[in-house]
Amino acid sequence: MTHVLTVRGLKKSYGQKTALFGIDFDVRAGEVFALIGPNGAGKTTTLRIIATLLTATEGEIRFLDRDHRKEPDFVREKISYLPDEAGAYKDMKGLDYLRFMANFYARTPDEEKEFVDRAVSIAARRESGEPSELADRLGTKVGTYSKGMTRKLLLARALMTRPTLAILDEPTSGLDVINALEVREIVRRYVKEGTSVLLSSHNMLEIEFLSDRVALIDEGRILDSGTPAELKAKHSAQNLEEVFRSSLR
Amino acid sequence: MKRFANLLRKEIKELVTKQLIISLAFTVILFNFIGQVSKKEVQKAVGVQTISALDQDGSPASRALLTGLESARFKILDQSGKSKELAVETPRAGESKLLLVIPEGFGSSLESLEPKTMETYSFMRTFSLIGARGQVVVQSVISALNESLSNNFLAEKLPGIDPQSLKKPIKSKDFVVVQDRMAEGSANMVAGLISQQSLLIPVVLMMIVMYSSQMVISAVAMEKQNKTLETLLTVPIKRTSIITAKMLAAGLVGLISAGVYMFAFKGFMGGIGEEAARAGALAGGESLMRQLGLYFDTTGYVVLGLSLFLAILVALAMAMILGVLAEDFRSAQNMIMPLMFMVMVPYFLSLFADINAVALPVKLFILAIPFSHPFLVSQNLYLGNWTMIFGGLAYMFVVFVVLVVFAARVFSSDKILTMKLRFGKKKSAAA
Repeated sequence: MTHVLTVRGLKKSYGQKTALFGIDFDVRAGEVFALIGPNGAGKTTTLRIIATLLTATEGEIRFLDRDHRKEPDFVREKISYLPDEAGAYKDMKGLDYLRFMANFYARTPDEEKEFVDRAVSIAARRESGEPSELADRLGTKVGTYSKGMTRKLLLARALMTRPTLAILDEPTSGLDVINALEVREIVRRYVKEGTSVLLSSHNMLEIEFLSDRVALIDEGRILDSGTPAELKAKHSAQNLEEVFRSSLR
Repeated sequence: MKRFANLLRKEIKELVTKQLIISLAFTVILFNFIGQVSKKEVQKAVGVQTISALDQDGSPASRALLTGLESARFKILDQSGKSKELAVETPRAGESKLLLVIPEGFGSSLESLEPKTMETYSFMRTFSLIGARGQVVVQSVISALNESLSNNFLAEKLPGIDPQSLKKPIKSKDFVVVQDRMAEGSANMVAGLISQQSLLIPVVLMMIVMYSSQMVISAVAMEKQNKTLETLLTVPIKRTSIITAKMLAAGLVGLISAGVYMFAFKGFMGGIGEEAARAGALAGGESLMRQLGLYFDTTGYVVLGLSLFLAILVALAMAMILGVLAEDFRSAQNMIMPLMFMVMVPYFLSLFADINAVALPVKLFILAIPFSHPFLVSQNLYLGNWTMIFGGLAYMFVVFVVLVVFAARVFSSDKILTMKLRFGKKKSAAA
């Protein structure tokens, strides 16, 4: 299978403090790859480096077979990043925010409309086809949205351009059960359309249902990686939480 | 370009809020209102004023004094026949602000050269300068009478001699020399007129720097606080475009806001200024300044404008870096302080000291502050000191370029997310 992203020996230090001690992983085309681990494990730092926000201290990243460090503009054209606890411009209406973001990626007005329409369909429709609570609210200011609505709007923004790689940092963090379920459904649905997803979470149970492959990360090191089934079999565990505990030993 | 325009549009929309428009409109209305009220007060002070007069003498001389006051646009409320105590009570409750008491024997004292003391009682109901103007005018009328009486006396006793030659045996004529030009006038007057002409420069600079810088710092801090910065930094747009869009938007809105405030300020000052000009306070000043070549021609205005523009660019670039240091909107409010000090230091120094004449280390310190140069431009233009002018412009341009390059580096590196300056808290490493 083709690799969208290859990470080798990735290290990151902030002065004296080392956040990543040389990690390796790949993301294949059309898969959901998850980095799972506790808070402070190095998940966000890894995603920020891949999203071109931070620079690696050492290591090599290849994105679509190009040097990630040397071609950040190329990377930014092809990826989308949803940061943990990200916000949208509060004084903008939901639809205006989508148009504003689409404008950075679209080459023509038709393409911009296509992106916005896709975002609206992601944000305003449930898996069942029923309109979501956001459907009637896209014409109102983002500042009035609930956390779940804002998260769905941002997820729609991240997926509307059909990025080669969507980087989602804790996509369901802080959401209630229903909103978290809807977000997971959206992610699964759009992976089928060809977008690869690299996500992070400390919720290992949800990741088990969402991801094709996972890497367990702790204190800046990858402990193990594989499909959830492979890992569970390898560690004789019932779920990924048990796998993680076993990997720590 | 399309992406840049998209971002610039968003930045301007964020800055031009209902609150800003309401605050600008309110300021214009308020300043105009204050201006109109002040204008009426000035007109009242300059116009007919009512004073009470207790003439205890009733001589032709005392009547001449009161007639003199009437011709100086005073309405006299005659208190004759009352005791001084009673006469003092009348203006206390009435409309006049001043009581003039002419003592008994005033007329004969003028002839015998044994001056009697006239008394004035000013009733201060406000402490404004305009409110105290009545007494100043009465004093000037009394001095004019003194002058006239002494002249008459001297002319009578020493016929053939000009009384002025006796009173002022030494005459002086003042000339001012500026470079190769010379004109009759006092150095004090020239310095006063120059400081009046240059008054607007620091006010304009302070306002634009304050507004624009605050906007840039807040724009960056708000992106951080609302957690939108990370997303913005990963969209396909150059980091320099992000910086430029924020600076340009803040610069434009800052310029317009400052323009509106200046318009409002002019409306306020107009209330007093117009009347002062009408009173002829500045008469003669303009021709003196022209004779000395102390006025701006087109080149002068272009150079001054360029200097102000460069100072604004420097302020915006500094604000961009300070905005990165701010953690959220609240801390952004504190970040403006270093910039304000940098503008205030040369402003206050230019008020009290000649920057060109201070000790070398102090001079170098002042010249190192980029905002000093717009303050020095008008002086240097008058003195034809082109080396200093071009040096200042070049220095500000270099500082601007260095700051923009630094800001671009910060925006293109980890520092945009990890650089923080906290007030009263311990620094912590990035997560």
